[in-house]
Amino acid sequence: MTGERPLALVLLEMTLLVLAGPLVTGAIQKMKARLQCRQGAGVLQPYRDLTKLFRKGTVQADTASGLFRSIPVLVVAATVAAGAFVPVVRAGPPAFPLGDALMLLGLLALARFLTAVGALDAGGAFGGMGASREMTIAPLVEPVLMMVVFSTAIAAGTTELGALAAHRGTSWLLAWSAADFLGFAAMLLLLPAETGRIPVDNPDTHLELTMLHEGMLLEHSGPGLGCMVLASHTRQIVIVAVASALFFPVGPAGAGVVGVLVGAGAFAGKILALAIYLALVESSYAKLRLFRVPQYLGVGFVCALTALALRIL
Amino acid sequence: MAETLLWVLPLIPTVTALLMLTTRDRRVLSALDVSGSAILFALALVLAREVAVGGPRTLGVFRLDDVGLVFLLLLVVLTLAVSIYTVGWLEQALEVGNMKAEFLRSYFALVHAFVATMVVTVLADNLGILWIAMEGTTITSAVLIGYHGHHHGLEAAWKYIIVTTIGISFGLFGTVLIYAAAADVQGGAGAMSWSAIMKIAPTLHPGIVRIGFIFAMVGYGTKAGLAPMHLWLPDAHSQAPTPVSALLSGVLIKCALLGIIRFQTIAAAACGPAFPAQVLLIFGLISVVVATPFILAQRDIKRLLGYHSVEHVGIVALGLGFGGRVGTYGALLHVVNHGITKALAFFAAGTAIARYGSRDMRAIGGLLAVAPIGATLLMLAALSLAGVPPFSIFVSELMVLRAGIGQGHWIAIAIFLSMVVVIFAGLLHHVGVMAFGEPTATASREPEAWFPLAGMLLLAAIMILLGITLPGSFDGILQRATEVIVD
Amino acid sequence: MSEEALHAVIDDLGALLLFTMILIVAAGQIYRAIYAVSAQSLLIALAAAVLATATGNTDLWVIAGVTLAVKAVALPWVLHWIVQRMDIRREIEPVIPIAATLALSVVIVVASFQLTTSLGPVRQAIAGNALPVGISLTLTGVLVMATRKTALTQMVGLFASENGIFFTAMAVTQGMPLIIEIGVILDVILAALVMTILVLRVRSTVDADVADLDRLRG
Repeated sequence: MTGERPLALVLLEMTLLVLAGPLVTGAIQKMKARLQCRQGAGVLQPYRDLTKLFRKGTVQADTASGLFRSIPVLVVAATVAAGAFVPVVRAGPPAFPLGDALMLLGLLALARFLTAVGALDAGGAFGGMGASREMTIAPLVEPVLMMVVFSTAIAAGTTELGALAAHRGTSWLLAWSAADFLGFAAMLLLLPAETGRIPVDNPDTHLELTMLHEGMLLEHSGPGLGCMVLASHTRQIVIVAVASALFFPVGPAGAGVVGVLVGAGAFAGKILALAIYLALVESSYAKLRLFRVPQYLGVGFVCALTALALRIL
Repeated sequence: MAETLLWVLPLIPTVTALLMLTTRDRRVLSALDVSGSAILFALALVLAREVAVGGPRTLGVFRLDDVGLVFLLLLVVLTLAVSIYTVGWLEQALEVGNMKAEFLRSYFALVHAFVATMVVTVLADNLGILWIAMEGTTITSAVLIGYHGHHHGLEAAWKYIIVTTIGISFGLFGTVLIYAAAADVQGGAGAMSWSAIMKIAPTLHPGIVRIGFIFAMVGYGTKAGLAPMHLWLPDAHSQAPTPVSALLSGVLIKCALLGIIRFQTIAAAACGPAFPAQVLLIFGLISVVVATPFILAQRDIKRLLGYHSVEHVGIVALGLGFGGRVGTYGALLHVVNHGITKALAFFAAGTAIARYGSRDMRAIGGLLAVAPIGATLLMLAALSLAGVPPFSIFVSELMVLRAGIGQGHWIAIAIFLSMVVVIFAGLLHHVGVMAFGEPTATASREPEAWFPLAGMLLLAAIMILLGITLPGSFDGILQRATEVIVD
Repeated sequence: MSEEALHAVIDDLGALLLFTMILIVAAGQIYRAIYAVSAQSLLIALAAAVLATATGNTDLWVIAGVTLAVKAVALPWVLHWIVQRMDIRREIEPVIPIAATLALSVVIVVASFQLTTSLGPVRQAIAGNALPVGISLTLTGVLVMATRKTALTQMVGLFASENGIFFTAMAVTQGMPLIIEIGVILDVILAALVMTILVLRVRSTVDADVADLDRLRG
């Protein structure tokens, strides 16, 4: 049921991720709106926003250097490239040499770094503040994510996500070992942090004192902003896809179109479940003070570390 | 007959406690108190004779062997002395307003409930029952420690319940581990009974018994007041009403030592005597060393006695750690000697405190002039506690020392000796300040009350007797108890 | 249920217990800690039920029921009641930073697992990971008691600690004697009761929280 994934499939999966990214955001927004007893915008709203942004012209700060212009493209490229490492419709290692989970995390970190550089480059006060906050939190999030990956990787003996997912096979909760539970708990704690959501960040607000990620986008406009927004949609779905690849069995993918379709359906289901989780968390918790965030992430860190310890011992 | 007594014994204080709840009259309460303790004392003597003649008696989860008997005798003697002392003490306390007449019955009932739980710990053969009773002592005595209801008392009670409950949960864990080891060998039935475990002890898995013993040692060691888990002890001893302090120091921490002995024998049989001995030596030395500076610098007389208990529990642990016949015998004898002497010291200190209205030793001066008998008793107790011959503590300390020399634990002996010498000097200095000199202005010059003196004289007589000679029957009990532990 | 399956389930429950323990350590507010310890007791009851079905030991059903009623519902409810009744400070006051406590708890977990790997034959006597998980729960509970000032958090630590012992005790293959387990639960209830009384008395007589009691020294 699992085999190697050919180049065409990998490319298809990557495209699928990029295309579905805004939909996930839209779905979460919609669910949040319903939970708050609002009608809310349609699930397709992020697409409309993106189209609108790409049609607009660009305004740029006088202080920004030439690098600022290329930042959005680089960020979106790095994020989309990260999407190539995640198995979507089928588990199994890629048929050609490709990177592993570390590469994926590296690319995401690169995108984050470039975003921060762009924010600093523009010279705006909010950009700098957002960048500094983002960079305060990033070193707390990334090692935890890495440890979660490692804790599953030790069991499978590889860090390649496709192979990890294949190792998970079709097993479900009952076959989980103790470390899986703790790893999953750490993952659940991390998801809002990585996707820039409450309780760590608030994607809806542009209030200067609370925003992290949004603060860094303020100086961008037009297609550039469109790229940044697309990148954050993609980043979100990539992270969610990593979580589902690590902890949920990938759909029983047969060969051919049917298999791909079934796999895609299973993937959609898992993503939807995690999206519901994110929406619920966002609706039921308040944003933490910035100084509280390290403590929140510390819980994730401890869980991940314990999971790792359980695997090794 | 003897088997039935095993059940009746814990029932007596329980029934006494329940009867006390029915009345508010102070005289009736005091009469019930003394008579309950006297009956307990008498029945324990009967039981002691039976056991001394006919060997250990078992009934269900209860079992009384010679080791338990040593502790049981100490318990009943002290309970009786405390009851007699309380009669007079109460009168003073009510006058001063330390005790309130409307809460008296709950005080008496709790004291007897406390005694009942301690009787159960002594009689318990089942390690689970031992633990439950031990935790029961915490619950009943915590309320008693905070009985005065002022800031310090409540703080001491809270610290006591938190620290000992933490500690005792370690004890439960140790019990569970030992049970797991025993159940692995012989199946679940009876795997919690100490006597049953002892039969199969050499076949137990040493690794798990070792972890279990450490847990139990920390757990019961907390209750026994071994450093560094002794944090509750000086507070609780200084804040509790004096009779309760005497019970805590004289009996409760000794019951915890009994728990340690039970686990020590299991561990010695399962992983060789060297391992538990080493653990006991370490805790014993730490206790002796930690207690010393606090004794020297102390101003509060009851805290002084509390820290002094830490030192003496350490000495008992050293005796058990040095092991062998001499060391174990010395440790058991020391348990009895220290229990009786410390209770006497608390009584004498309690009357002195009542006379001066202060626990600060600088405020208590010239005791000999205002209360000659009480002062003499206080000095006798202090001399004995310091280890002066011919008092009983000197004898048992010497035995512990001899055991250490016999085993060649030179470093331990050097530390032990130097600490004992320092404490000796410190204690005599403190007592000298209190007993001699001109009476301070706060001293009340009332004649000495008869009832507290009676309780104290009883203990002083026993103390002096044990120093001069050991009665043959008691020596026999100690000998057989030593055999149970060593072999 | 086969033995492997039982061990797997116990292991998984153990992991969830560790997770609730981490939540207790990390809780910044008293309510969170209370909910976490309630969830933990629920898991203990679940473990007892699983073991009862697996081993056919009916005593464990009783224990599951009592644990559920007392530790998962009644005691957290009492704690909750005290918080509301006395309007105590909701924030937990750690003696050392919570991050440091978290780090220490990781050390404890790793050390307990390390300690027990050396005990091969114990695997027969105690199901699955119950021993290391129990040890870490107990020690972490003690850690919570030692590093928090407020009375209620200390009580939460106590309950967590007892939970750890219970988890190990019920996983002993032969099962503990029922009378002992009931006695232990009874003791825990009584201890909680006495602590509650003390907290209320401290409140009423000296108008302070237990955290402010620090006069006895030396």
